[in-house]
Amino acid sequence: MRFVRNPADAYTGLALVCFALFAWWAAGDLRTGTALQMGPGYFPKLLCALQGILGLAILTNGLAPATAAPLEPVAARPLVLILASIAFFGLAIERLGLAVAVFGLVVISSLAYRKIGIAPLILLAAGLAVFSLFLFIKVLGLTMMPWPWSR
Amino acid sequence: MSVLGDFWGGLLVGLQWGNLFYCFLGALIGTLIGVLPGLGPVPTIAMLLPITFYLSPVSALIMLAGIYYGAQYGGSTTAILVNLPGENSSVITCLDGYQMARKGEAGAALAVAALGSLFAGIFATFFIAVMAPPLANVALLFGPAENFSLMILGLIAAIVLAQGSVLKALGMIVFGLLLSMVGTDVNSGEPRLALGISDLLDGIGFVPLAMGLFAVAEIIKNLEQPEHREQIAKVSNLWPTRNDFRRSWPAVLRGSGIGAILGLLPGGGAMLSSFVAYTVEKRLSPHPEKFGTGMIEGVAAPEAANNAGAQTSFIPFLTLGIPGNAVLALMTGAMMIHGIQPGPEVMTKNPDLFWGLIASMLIGNIMLVVINLPLLPIWVSLLRVPYKLFYPAILVFCCIGVYSLNNSVNEVFFLVLFGFLGYFLLKWGCEPAPLLLAFVLGPLLEENFRRAMRLSRGDPSTFITQPISAALLALALVLLAVLVFPAIRKRRQDAL
Repeated sequence: MRFVRNPADAYTGLALVCFALFAWWAAGDLRTGTALQMGPGYFPKLLCALQGILGLAILTNGLAPATAAPLEPVAARPLVLILASIAFFGLAIERLGLAVAVFGLVVISSLAYRKIGIAPLILLAAGLAVFSLFLFIKVLGLTMMPWPWSR
Repeated sequence: MSVLGDFWGGLLVGLQWGNLFYCFLGALIGTLIGVLPGLGPVPTIAMLLPITFYLSPVSALIMLAGIYYGAQYGGSTTAILVNLPGENSSVITCLDGYQMARKGEAGAALAVAALGSLFAGIFATFFIAVMAPPLANVALLFGPAENFSLMILGLIAAIVLAQGSVLKALGMIVFGLLLSMVGTDVNSGEPRLALGISDLLDGIGFVPLAMGLFAVAEIIKNLEQPEHREQIAKVSNLWPTRNDFRRSWPAVLRGSGIGAILGLLPGGGAMLSSFVAYTVEKRLSPHPEKFGTGMIEGVAAPEAANNAGAQTSFIPFLTLGIPGNAVLALMTGAMMIHGIQPGPEVMTKNPDLFWGLIASMLIGNIMLVVINLPLLPIWVSLLRVPYKLFYPAILVFCCIGVYSLNNSVNEVFFLVLFGFLGYFLLKWGCEPAPLLLAFVLGPLLEENFRRAMRLSRGDPSTFITQPISAALLALALVLLAVLVFPAIRKRRQDAL
C-alpha cells in the first residue's frame, strides 16, 4: 500500500469511520426528534457524525507524506495467548469450576512468556488456584462453583 | 460551618477502625505496585474495582486514593534503586535519583523522596480543604448549559496535556462517548445500540471496559519485549546529611506548590507536575549543568510535586465532577457503582465521604512514610520478583472480579473484547485514557445537553449566549487552538 504513509493513523481513522457507520446503522430505528424534543437517537447520531468526520481526518493524516512512520509489529503470541486464557476462564468457570478455570488461565497465559519451566508453571498455576479457592470462596464467600464435581 | 470543623469531622471518619484499615491497605498496595515495574495504579485500581462493591463508599474511595498516592512513594524507590520508573510520574526521579544511588547516596535520595512526599502530601491535603469548598459552591450554581460546557472543557483539557496525537485523542473521546450511549435511554426507556444483546441493555460494563483497556492490554504490551534486569543499588545510610536537608527543603517547598497548582488541571496530575518542578529547579540552581549527575534537588522537587499533584487532582473531581485522568475516571466509576455522582453535591449531600476522603490523605501520607522507610529492605527484595510470576495473578484477579460482578460469563468475554481493543489502541498510538474519561462523562453530557436545549427552546446558541458557558467553551477552543501552533506543539512533545 504505497499511499499509506502512517499505518497507525490510517487504521485508527478507518476503524473509527467503520465503527461510526456501524453505530449509525444500529441507531437507524431510533427516533431522532428535534433539538427541542430530542429522541433517543439524537445524541448518538450526532456522535456518529462527529466520529465519522474525525475518523476521516485521521485517515487523511495517515496518507500524508509528512506523518510517515512505520507500524510497530503486533506481538501475536502474547495477544492470542492472553486473550485465549481469559476466554478459557469464561468457558470453564460455570462448566468446570473455579479451580480448573484458574489453573487453565494461569497455564495458558504463562505460555505467553517464553522462559518458564514446566515445574514452576505447574506450581504457580496450582498455587494460584488454591489461593483463589481460599480467598474468594472460603474468605469472601462468593457463590461460585469450586470443583468440576460440585454442582 | 468552618473548614476546620468540617475537616475535623472528616478526620473522625478517617480515624474509624475500618477506614484506617482500608487507608493502610491502599497505601500498602500503592507502595507495592509503585515498586513493581510494569504495574501502575491504573491497572491495579481497574483490577480492584469489583472488590469496592463490598465496601462502603467512603472506605472504597479511601482505599483507591491510597493506592494512587501510595504509588507515587513506591515509584520513587524503583526509580532511585534500579533506574526504572515503577510508575510514570517517577520518570524524572530516575535522572538524578539513580545517579545519587550510583554514588552511594541511595539512602539519602530515598529519605528525601519520602519526606518530601510527606510534606507535599500534608500541604496538598490542606490545599484541597481550603480550595475545594468555594469551588463546589460556585459549581452548585451551574445550570445545564454551564455543566455541558464544563465537561467539554474538561475533556479537551485532558487531551491537551496527554501524550500523542491530538486528533486521535479527540477521536477517542467521541468513541468513548458513543460507547457510553449503549444501553437503555433514560428518557424514553428504549434500548439504544444494544444490537439485541440482553447484556448490553444496562450499557457496556464499566469494569470490563476499564480492565480490558488498562490491565489486559498492558499485560500484552509488557510481554512484547523480554524483561531486562538492572543492577539494584545498595542502600547504606538512610539518613540524609545536614547539607542534604539544607539543599532539599526549598526544593520541596517549590515542588509542593507547583504540584498543587498543576494537579488542578485536567490531564495534569502527577506526571506533568514532576516534570515542571524539575525544570524549575534546574533553572533556579546555580549549577544547572550538574543536574543529571545526582543533584538532591532533582529528586526532592519532582517527588514532592508528583505527590502534591496526585492529590490536588482530586479537587476538580470532587467539586466539579470532572475526572482529570484515568485514575480519577476509575474512581468516578467506583462512586457511581455506589450510586453517588461525583460533583458539587458530594460535599453537601455526603460530607462524610468528602471530608473523610480528604482527611484520609493526611493519615495515609503519614502511614506511607512509615511503610516506606523502615520496611525498605522488603520493597527492595520485591524488585526481584519477576514479571512472569505476577502477571498471571493479575489476570486471575481480573477474571474472577469481572465474573463475580453479576456471575455472568458474558462479562468475561467482554473483557476479552476490550483487551483486544485496548491492545490495538496502544499499538496505533491512541491514548485509552480520554476514551475512559468520555465514557464516564457521556451520559451526563447528553443529559445536560438535552436539558439545556429544552430550556433554550431548542436554540443551540444558548451555549454561547450564557456568559459562564461561553467562557468555558472559549477556553476549550483556546486550548485546542494552542495545539495547532507547531511551536507550542513541539514544546509539549519535548516536555512529555
